[in-house]
Amino acid sequence: MVDARRKGPRGSLLRSQWFLLLVVVLLTSAFTGAVNPRFFRVNNIVNIFEQISTLGVVASGATILIISGNFDISVGANIGLSACIMAMLMKANAPYPLAVVSGLGVAVACAFFVGFNSIVFRAPSFIISLAAIGVFRGIALALTQASLQTIYGKFEALGSTRFLGVVPLIFVVSLAVYAVVGFILKFARLGRRIYAIGANERAAFLSGVNLNGNKLAFFALNGLLVGIAATMLLSRVGAAQPSTGAGIELQAIGAVVIGGTPMNGGKGRIVGTFFGVLLMGVISNALNMLQVSPYFQDVTFGLLIIFSVAVSAFSQKRGRAAA
Amino acid sequence: MTGDPVLSVSGLTKSYGAQRPALSGVSFDLHPGEVLCVVGENGAGKSTLIKILSGAVAPDSGSVVLCGKSHLALTPREAMALGISTIYQDVELIESLTVADNIFLGAERKGPLPLTVDAKAQGEAAREHLDLLRIDIDETALVEDLSAAQKQNLQIVKALHRDARILIMDEPTSSLGYEEKRSLMKLVRELRARGIAIIYISHYLEEVFEIGDTILVLKDGERVATYRREEVDVDLVIRSMVGRDASLFYRRERVNLGKVRVEVRHLAWAGRVDDVSFEVRAGEIFGIGGLVGSGRSELVGLIFGMNRREKGEVVLDGLPVKASGPAEAIRRRISLITEDRKKYAMLGPRSVAENVTLVHHEMRGGPLLDLGEEARLTASMVDRLRIAVANQAQEIASLSGGNQQKVIIARWMLEDAELYIFDEPTKGVDVGAKEEIYKLMVELARAGKCLIMVSSDMPELLSMSDRIGIMRGGRMVRIVENVDIGEQYLMREFIGV
Repeated sequence: MVDARRKGPRGSLLRSQWFLLLVVVLLTSAFTGAVNPRFFRVNNIVNIFEQISTLGVVASGATILIISGNFDISVGANIGLSACIMAMLMKANAPYPLAVVSGLGVAVACAFFVGFNSIVFRAPSFIISLAAIGVFRGIALALTQASLQTIYGKFEALGSTRFLGVVPLIFVVSLAVYAVVGFILKFARLGRRIYAIGANERAAFLSGVNLNGNKLAFFALNGLLVGIAATMLLSRVGAAQPSTGAGIELQAIGAVVIGGTPMNGGKGRIVGTFFGVLLMGVISNALNMLQVSPYFQDVTFGLLIIFSVAVSAFSQKRGRAAA
Repeated sequence: MTGDPVLSVSGLTKSYGAQRPALSGVSFDLHPGEVLCVVGENGAGKSTLIKILSGAVAPDSGSVVLCGKSHLALTPREAMALGISTIYQDVELIESLTVADNIFLGAERKGPLPLTVDAKAQGEAAREHLDLLRIDIDETALVEDLSAAQKQNLQIVKALHRDARILIMDEPTSSLGYEEKRSLMKLVRELRARGIAIIYISHYLEEVFEIGDTILVLKDGERVATYRREEVDVDLVIRSMVGRDASLFYRRERVNLGKVRVEVRHLAWAGRVDDVSFEVRAGEIFGIGGLVGSGRSELVGLIFGMNRREKGEVVLDGLPVKASGPAEAIRRRISLITEDRKKYAMLGPRSVAENVTLVHHEMRGGPLLDLGEEARLTASMVDRLRIAVANQAQEIASLSGGNQQKVIIARWMLEDAELYIFDEPTKGVDVGAKEEIYKLMVELARAGKCLIMVSSDMPELLSMSDRIGIMRGGRMVRIVENVDIGEQYLMREFIGV
């Protein structure tokens, strides 16, 4: 208790994960910029923001689920399926709002499917969502006959608009998503349930929290965010195929973990996820700028995630020892 | 007993945290072929003693001398290597392997080819072991097909196969039927005749008197006495298990009781709670006592809707409480402060404020939180219950046990319940906080609330309760007015002698 009182605002700033991440982001940027000055060009920086927008939206949803003690690793396949359905509708000249709403609906339904099965069969959502990858991707392959669905010249506004010529619209959307998720976590009753269920499910149950209904709500909310990410991706790329979005689940979970949310839930903040995503974007761009082979980029991200898990494991151990 | 002891324990002390030690200066000798029975009420220190001897926890001080060699702290592996085996219920056996495989687990007979096992030789040796102790189990049967009693026998065989010289048996008969108990008693005698020393822990005094050579009585972590069986009777043992200093009793203010508000009728669940009925009046603290495993926590969990009751009903102020779960119980203004804080109550990594207002937010208010109100409510509770916190944002896990408990009590008092159920209200709580919790309980009673209090702490039960319901084997065997009854009377009722 003495320790807690001694800890001033500066101590807590130095200890908070997001501040450390910011420092790492700045150091990485400074180093890359020194080696390759093109890094600091406006165009490149705008590029980074554009690249991390989709990941940011998916990672926001992952933050909710991981804090609540759940996982959905089918979000990549979910993006593929819902983006394909949107693209096919747009190709068939359906009005954009209809196509987008359908896509969002599919994404929510897919996420709901994962949550529902994991609750009904009392199975870890990790396993259920692993199996769901095959289901979603298979459906997407069947619908598209495995062909690329191009919509060039259509539905470009979301992906290509830049305010003042520099700020990408999709980045603004992703910021809005962070803000909404942050608001839910801090100010909404739903947010309290996310933390409570993640911290101690039995205690939440004995305090009157409806476990199943709330978990379904978390999954559905995650699905909505996945749908938004799919829409952003489709508009930016102008085409979709079943493999669109593949692998983004690992990046998203990685960003959440790097942002200081422990894998066993009950804790975590959206600001951490924001900086986790930013760090991944900056490192990815820096590796390009430093002309590192793309194969080694995957290696780098894998190691980075392992490193953050190790950091969080150590800090938790220390926390327990102190308690 | 004559000859050198196989095990000599002296001055064993162990404390967890700041409370009174779980074990304090306990000493005894154990000779080959001796059955030492350890008795004492819940929390007397029996489990801690077993844990130290089996190497699960290290003592703070004291020594364990095994066959003349002193050991400061054992690891489980060392304990086993030195010939101490603990027989637990149901654990340590691999269900999907055969009886013979389990006996030889970790020390398999090698077959003719590398990495193979000589199953035939193992089977024959297993048969021999089983026959030697006259245990009637097929060595080729799978463990999952055995009864609880057979599994226990198998564990004993396994221990002997590992050259155990000391067997520790913890409540070995608690899940056995009459016939199985008889045969276990026979087996224990058989083992004793073979020179195995046995530490036998049991609540059942008739067993203790049947097979014990020596009886070690523990109370509040201390050794009260060690008796030779011939020199004592049940009365004397019970008297030494209880009987505490008057200073351990809390003097509570008495409250006038009102009309009956809570009626529990014929509650039953899964054989663990068997047709329990009782009433609680306004302002009453209804104590529930009994041994661990007698169904006390299950009973109160059932009233709260933690489990679906199979039979019976709970009526509060004339209206039945639906059995649909805790949310319904809370809406009817029933609170349950659970026994195991960490497992059932605390949101460990969350703040004091979030922990205090968990039920409040769940039961009222719209989709958005009123954080200003939350801070006010938390502050008023921190103040009222005198919870020592640095600030409201402090994680509950970093508080002391007493303060954690107060935070949980605050969570329920905030909702102003009508029926408060306290399951071990002061477990793991320091003395100062204990008294404050008692004061709070009396305050609630004075406000006309109903209280049900489950407690293993005999002075607590006797100090706080207006009436005491005694649980034994899932049934509430007796309800007594708490006047002129003492610890001995209760202990007798708990054990059923």
